[in-house]
Amino acid sequence: MPQEPNNGRAGRQVDLGGRRALTIIPAYNEADCIQRVIRDLQERAPWTDVLVVNDGSRDATGLRAREAGARVIDLPVNLGIGGAVQTGYRYAREEGYDVAFQFDGDGQHRASRLADLVGPLLAGDADLVIGSRFLAPRGMTARGMRWVGIKILASVISLVLRQRVTDPTSGFRAAGRRAIHLFAAEYPQDYPEPESLVLLRKQGLRVCEVPATIRRRRDGASSIRPLHGAHYMSKVLLAVVMDLVKAPVRLEEEVA
Amino acid sequence: MYFFRWEHRVALVLAGGVLLLTTFELIRKRRLREEYSVLWILTAAAILVSGIYPRVLEWVAMKIALHPAVLMTFLCVLFLMAILLHYSVVISKHSEREKGLTQELALLKDEIARLREEVKEARKAPPEPKPRPPALRT
Repeated sequence: MPQEPNNGRAGRQVDLGGRRALTIIPAYNEADCIQRVIRDLQERAPWTDVLVVNDGSRDATGLRAREAGARVIDLPVNLGIGGAVQTGYRYAREEGYDVAFQFDGDGQHRASRLADLVGPLLAGDADLVIGSRFLAPRGMTARGMRWVGIKILASVISLVLRQRVTDPTSGFRAAGRRAIHLFAAEYPQDYPEPESLVLLRKQGLRVCEVPATIRRRRDGASSIRPLHGAHYMSKVLLAVVMDLVKAPVRLEEEVA
Repeated sequence: MYFFRWEHRVALVLAGGVLLLTTFELIRKRRLREEYSVLWILTAAAILVSGIYPRVLEWVAMKIALHPAVLMTFLCVLFLMAILLHYSVVISKHSEREKGLTQELALLKDEIARLREEVKEARKAPPEPKPRPPALRT
């Protein structure tokens, strides 16, 4: 893996053992904070390439991201979070990356925590590692109905996966080669994070969680995954149940 | 007791015939693909047959204790729902395809931009073999 210049700043060095890592940032109208996010990654996680998937933004997101030195894929029309993230996974598959991170474009994820996610992947213990807000010591950010909603969803997902999952809606994740190939071929559209866990389970891939603190969102509300309490819950649960009965995905080639 | 009078039968045959001919004409002009026309042809045929042999419909209606008019309405709704369901399937197929094409297009555009960049570099300094351009520039 080519070592990127560290710019003199101390990012925690991570030994990927020759593996290449890509950070996928789906971005829709994030011109104001995208550069901050990219710089954060360049300074604190220089061992990963940065890919911004510009999901048909109406502002200067793509331009700002290029200025900051990220590789940018411009989707000609808005596909939504699922379609944008999947574009990143397709890129990762085509370019032969071994590890792909999902990272939000609004600055709520910390580049310095990326290193925590790769451990289980490198050890071969998991195909997807979730950064969980709820495992972190003082990481609880959700309150009230939102907290209840995530708890209910977490219990249902845990039941389906037959494994404890505390933060199924987390968009801070790391995927290994098998997960990259699966997600490149098939990725849910509507509520991609919880649904993709069910997909992984059905294909026999392993999921694990590590603690991850996130920042409080600086500007704007959660536009990507609004938790409208009961409405959101019922739709996600319905989607999860439908995912359970769907026929399994046939991958084109076996991934070693 | 017969429900369908000859006026009804003429109307049914006309309606079925016109629908059938319209469908065939649209296929012939290539404005309707065959795969989407199956349900329309079936519907038209069913209307036509019920005009020619109305006793069949009356017999079925009697057997299940429904008024023939109610049975007709019920069958109409059933056909319409089948056609709508068929449309939903077609729309899903197309949106999945559109998503894939959009992604492919974006990835190819990126690849072209990168190749252009490489060609430009190669023209500037021909002898030096160039590795993959780094994604990060600081």
